[in-house]
Amino acid sequence: MDPAARLGPAQIDVVAQLAVSTVLLGGIYALIAVGLTLIFGVMRVVNFAHGEFLMLGMYLAFFAFTLQSLDPYFVLVVAIPLFFGVGLVVYLLVMKGVIDASHNVQIFTTVGLSTALQNLALVLWTGDFRVIRPWHSSVVLRIGGTAFNLSQVVAFAVAVALTVGLFAFMKWTHTGRVMRATAQDRDAATLMGVDTDRVYRLTFAIGIACVGAAGVLVSPLYAAYPQAGLQFVLLAYVVVVLGGLGDMVGAMVGSLIVATVEIAGSYMFGTAWKEVFYFLLFIAVLVFRPAGLFGQRGAETLGV
Amino acid sequence: MTRLPPGRWAAVVLFGAAALTPLVVRDSFILDSVILILLWGALSAGWNIAGGYAGQVSLGHAAFFGLGAYAAALMSARYQQSPWLGLLVGVALSMCAGALIGYLSNRLRGPYFALSTIAFAEVLRIVASRWRGFTAGSEGVPVPYRPGFWTLGLSHVAWLYLILAVALGCYALQVYLERSRVGYQLAGVREDEDAAEALGIATRRLKIKAIMVSAAVTSLCGSLWAQYVGFVDPAHVFSIDLSIRFALNSIIGGIGTALGPFLGSVLITSLETYLRATFSGIPGFSGTYLIIYGVVLILIVRFAPEGLTGIAARWRLRRARAHA
Amino acid sequence: MPRRLLASLVVSLLVVVAVAAVTHGQSGEYKIGVLEPLTGPLAGEGKRHLEGYEIVRDMINARGGVMGKKLVFAVADAPDPTAAATEATRLITREGVKIVTGTFSSRLCGAASEAAARHNVIYWETSCVDPRFSKRGLKTVYRTEIDATGFGWYNVEFIAKHLAPRLGKKPSELKIAFLSEDSSYGQGVTESARQRAKDEFKMQEVAAEYYNFQTINDFTPIIVKFKQLAPDVVHHIGYTNDAPLFWRQAKEQNFLFKAHVHAGATGYGSSDFGKALGNDANGAFALLEPGPGFRIESLKPDGQKLEKEFRDAVQKRTGSYPLGAHQLAGGGLWLLKLVLDRAKTDDPDKFRAAVMSLDLPVGSMINGWGVKFSETGQNANDRVQHYMLQWQNGQLVTVWPEEFTTMRAKWIPLPAWDQRK
Repeated sequence: MDPAARLGPAQIDVVAQLAVSTVLLGGIYALIAVGLTLIFGVMRVVNFAHGEFLMLGMYLAFFAFTLQSLDPYFVLVVAIPLFFGVGLVVYLLVMKGVIDASHNVQIFTTVGLSTALQNLALVLWTGDFRVIRPWHSSVVLRIGGTAFNLSQVVAFAVAVALTVGLFAFMKWTHTGRVMRATAQDRDAATLMGVDTDRVYRLTFAIGIACVGAAGVLVSPLYAAYPQAGLQFVLLAYVVVVLGGLGDMVGAMVGSLIVATVEIAGSYMFGTAWKEVFYFLLFIAVLVFRPAGLFGQRGAETLGV
Repeated sequence: MTRLPPGRWAAVVLFGAAALTPLVVRDSFILDSVILILLWGALSAGWNIAGGYAGQVSLGHAAFFGLGAYAAALMSARYQQSPWLGLLVGVALSMCAGALIGYLSNRLRGPYFALSTIAFAEVLRIVASRWRGFTAGSEGVPVPYRPGFWTLGLSHVAWLYLILAVALGCYALQVYLERSRVGYQLAGVREDEDAAEALGIATRRLKIKAIMVSAAVTSLCGSLWAQYVGFVDPAHVFSIDLSIRFALNSIIGGIGTALGPFLGSVLITSLETYLRATFSGIPGFSGTYLIIYGVVLILIVRFAPEGLTGIAARWRLRRARAHA
Repeated sequence: MPRRLLASLVVSLLVVVAVAAVTHGQSGEYKIGVLEPLTGPLAGEGKRHLEGYEIVRDMINARGGVMGKKLVFAVADAPDPTAAATEATRLITREGVKIVTGTFSSRLCGAASEAAARHNVIYWETSCVDPRFSKRGLKTVYRTEIDATGFGWYNVEFIAKHLAPRLGKKPSELKIAFLSEDSSYGQGVTESARQRAKDEFKMQEVAAEYYNFQTINDFTPIIVKFKQLAPDVVHHIGYTNDAPLFWRQAKEQNFLFKAHVHAGATGYGSSDFGKALGNDANGAFALLEPGPGFRIESLKPDGQKLEKEFRDAVQKRTGSYPLGAHQLAGGGLWLLKLVLDRAKTDDPDKFRAAVMSLDLPVGSMINGWGVKFSETGQNANDRVQHYMLQWQNGQLVTVWPEEFTTMRAKWIPLPAWDQRK
């Protein structure tokens, strides 16, 4: 029986459910990609440790819930400034020294950071898989023939809010403009009197705050374990490249595209191949339009 | 005494020590460590050809390693042929793959190129995991141990000399690159591709050739590794951890230098083996060695980005100044 | 002397020093090597495995140890095959062990056992399930646990002989959907189950889907597909982070199936699953070693004593019932003790003779196992009794084979999601 063949009410349900899941999954990817595109876009640094900060956010939510019975959405409010601070500290201790160095050095700095953080989590909290079940992770919303989880909807809503907020910040505030200028041409920005170190500090801190918050938001949906970051980090890169570096709307759209490719590909060809689909898409984008869908042509060579 | 440049002295010491080890030591673990140091060194040297000399920093070299490993393992386990034949097949396949990557990613720089190589290796990993009919999927391929040279069933001592020969070959290849015209052109491409192109160098072809040679060396070592360790599974041989390791040794030892990959391998492999052996037995502390490893990596890359050879060069310079 | 030369010599010296430290066992102690993944993605299970080993080691030492000496471990971490081979070699040459045991994962046991075999050292595998492990003709390599084909075999046995009649269908009338994580474990168990289901029982396979447990974020495409195919039984081999995700999403999207079967100590067989889902976990089956509800009286008297002692020791140390990893490691180590008691030496030939001479019926020891090794060094499927457990009210209880259990499988077929009390 070929499900795609007949288009009756059951088939519409199928498409509707897949569509809803795609959108919600895209929201989660956007949450993670938004911080990454900011860092990668403004600092031109490939942050291989990005997933580890997501993991830390998940553990924060887990311990807050288990030890203090605090709901993740409450923890979120605390997590944002907390991870902002973490981002500042990590920048000062680790990233600042290599901001002028070659790409290899930057890559391996973040790789070392990633290894250290993953194993710190392993030593402190063991390799067990930690799951929390706040009340909203059991709330199922049903619209038409589709079903989805309240936690997913909240994550999606926050992703949209974050994307819009950062977009507005980058476009209309002075600091945002300064960040964009530094991204385009660092030397020129310095000549114009921009304190690039401050810009990078801020960028990194905001980026880490976003991904830490993302970790808290997805904790009702996924288990926390030391290697949880790996689940999302590579596809976050696909999203960022697809959408264009530093482009917030691009990150959102890129997330939706990747989610669509994943879910449609899984449905039609089997979930075992799902990464192949978005990696092939990734390679195609890199070959034909490396600046991404929303980046200016040639932007990929800026600062690189 | 002949006046060799200092770097060559160090090479003599390193390879000489490796060659003399079996005469002094009978312990398989030490022999095994030396073999692995030389093998990872050779693999890093292979990476160095593309990453160090041509400036194409790849994080997906495990793709070539895995192709070589599978070619040798399948040839031996599935077709009962000599793994040397598998080695040749692997090299051929990897050179094609390298050419493809080089061609497709010609315009990509820096992190973009690195990411594209990661994607390529991941695709291969998934294909190998799913193609049960051919590669036995995720369960991997156990490689039968049949004593003999043509079946690559060797003793530890024989393996040591074989891998040493390969390592010396890689070292010689890199030295050649340093001194030849091709090498100078590659350096030009590495430092400023646009300028090199303006000078009339066929940059694209040169880059592709560099990647192909790099892929061939990596694949060759992958085939030997498969026969040495005796088990090939896709999650390991195509993993990003391996790709990172190949690059790492070169960077720590001195990227773009002939001895760098081997020096880096000596330090990193020893460090990892020592830390793992010391810490993993202690309850509650397994994983500590990897934390140390990560921190050491950050420190070395930050404070000595030119690697060990860079440190050595600075010493020599300071000494020369002191004597001036 | 050139600085460079000096630097190189210093480095070489460091290596030699680092590597030269040989630990010698004290007299009165017998040391074996224990190789487990203590870092990397399998770290959680590796650690539990090690716990199981340690608990049974203490039980053995309370009885005078092995060959009159106290049993001690040299533990090594093996997160990947290269490390497994290297660490196995280190245990043999630096720690001087004559027996290496481990390794929990099919990825690691192949490389580790090769290394051991080349040194003519005994390799005592207690957990990996790769079917090819025992087919390499290696004379010093043994395995106490059944292989993946055995798991698949038992699962299909349960489905055909117990579930089918209770569902009122012949096995050939059952529609079965296979879902599995894509590692060597998942593939091995699932493929052997598929084969037996099809060849022996002619069950109707409606789907066979694999996924990578490290990157699966959403089961919706699979659930949507399966809902349309309407299987009676879902045979799902899951790992520990994906199993709760699937179950939660299946409930959300109201995917109803009559039964759900898994095998192994991870995923649905892990305590993390119950912790994640509480009573929502009710109904899922997992093939494992015995849990609560196991009729200890069904064992032979010696077996009863051992099983009780084992459970008490695990309870004391971890605060819970033995988990699968504990049971596999512990059972395997106990078998090693039996062999050493009989052989009184670790000489490979005499050891092998002792292994082959062991012949105990089901119910004789921990987990209710018996023992009978084949020529290939593999403990027989029908002696290593496995049991089907079911999640009932936050606990995994033993429900099959019924002659060993006080509890019974409930909810066959599974009612609506909110009616499984």
